[in-house]
Amino acid sequence: MADLNLNELHDTEFPLPEQMHGNVAITSLSKLYNWSRRSSMWPLLFGLACCAIEMIGTAASRFDFSRFGMEVMRATPRQSDLMIVSGTVTKKMVVPIVRLYNQMPEPKYVMAMGACASGGGPFKEGYNVVSGIDKYLPVDVYVPGCPPTPQALLHGLITLQKKIDGQSLANLDDVPWYGVGPSEPTPIPILGPDIIDPRQMDTIRRQAELAALGQPIGLRALPDVPVYKPKPKKAVAAAAVVEEVVVDEEDAARVMELRQAALARKRAYDASKS
Amino acid sequence: MYGKGIMRGLSVTLKHFFQTYVDDLRYGWRKYSPKEDNFEMRQGMAAQGAFTVQYPDEKLAVPERFRFVPFLVVNEDDHPEAPGKDWCTSCGICAKVCPPQCIWIVRSEDPNTGRPIPEPEAFFIDIDICMNCGFCAEFCPFDAIKMDHDYELASYDRTTSHIHDKDHLSKPTSYWNRIAPTRAAEEAEARGGWEHIDVIKERKKAEKAAAKAAKK
Repeated sequence: MADLNLNELHDTEFPLPEQMHGNVAITSLSKLYNWSRRSSMWPLLFGLACCAIEMIGTAASRFDFSRFGMEVMRATPRQSDLMIVSGTVTKKMVVPIVRLYNQMPEPKYVMAMGACASGGGPFKEGYNVVSGIDKYLPVDVYVPGCPPTPQALLHGLITLQKKIDGQSLANLDDVPWYGVGPSEPTPIPILGPDIIDPRQMDTIRRQAELAALGQPIGLRALPDVPVYKPKPKKAVAAAAVVEEVVVDEEDAARVMELRQAALARKRAYDASKS
Repeated sequence: MYGKGIMRGLSVTLKHFFQTYVDDLRYGWRKYSPKEDNFEMRQGMAAQGAFTVQYPDEKLAVPERFRFVPFLVVNEDDHPEAPGKDWCTSCGICAKVCPPQCIWIVRSEDPNTGRPIPEPEAFFIDIDICMNCGFCAEFCPFDAIKMDHDYELASYDRTTSHIHDKDHLSKPTSYWNRIAPTRAAEEAEARGGWEHIDVIKERKKAEKAAAKAAKK
């Protein structure tokens, strides 16, 4: 017992006053809490594209993600903790996905499975495809692959469990759902000619009214885009002075006359031909 | 009889169900031993029952032609002539054939003459766009880009860890020899040696010149 260092016992994430050091021992509640939470991650039962086939393969007996406490894929968002976005998210599908996400109770996690859900994949410039679900939902884990093999998906799930293990009850940034008041819902995008952000709805409506009155619509406030300025390749090019352009009015008039004459000749030629 | 086909199909499932227990009895305690062959046998083509791969502890071996994200082949660090040199000449064929356009190459230039040097200054692959088709490896005339077998790439941030730069992509030739021995040997034979095709050509030239000098 002589080797027991009492200072090690209160090595938790909770701040302890100086005078209580060596007198109090706290075990971490977060560990127990995180263990129970990560061992019962129930995914939402839905699949979008070919990645869903791999997800089904992962759920089946050969790879079997029930070993990680994910055996029940819930067909309702009210009972699920994890949303595996498995496949291409089309602009038509992103609306129900965000709505389902809003219906999931906290704590909730999102996994972008495969290239399409993470960054758009081969369809990243498609007219009907959202290039990455992370533009609309806060994604926790990205799993690359096209599609990821069952083992790659399992690795992604284990990575997510590690993330949950690292969350601390003492830090409200990690567990914002214990804060005061209801959590902010993610704005649902509106299906239109292009996906419309409802936060911009007032501006869009005002522009539509102006357009209906036949007035100039005006520009929407665009975000600042860093302008690409190529570096001067050689020092000489940078030092070159821009010469002032002198317009000789007589010369310009003469050139214009010549052009008019040439045009008249051409028209006369065309007329004679036809 | 109606439903005969269903019965026949379900009997296959039932057979596998019972075979699982028969296999369990046959292997007995051996299934707990950490021997690799045991795992291969139970997960191989000859296995009758259905078994779960205990993934993080035991992993299924991927086939040699397995494709995941690409990597760049570079010389070994202890290579006698050009240690760590890229095989890539930044010709840009991979970037052109890439269907989802996930490859970005910056060619290097000689700062004095402004002429191009046959090696990439920067090489980026966005693995969250990559569709693992393997066209880049198929079309590369220098065998410089190959498909990796490492599939454990999940991470929390796409922008920092899923856009592989040249340092991340570069892997030595020994790595390619290890993950795909047959294929690497075939390619080396077609090339005429293990080296980069330019090195082989230069060496042949030098040999010819030496032979001429010896004749004289």
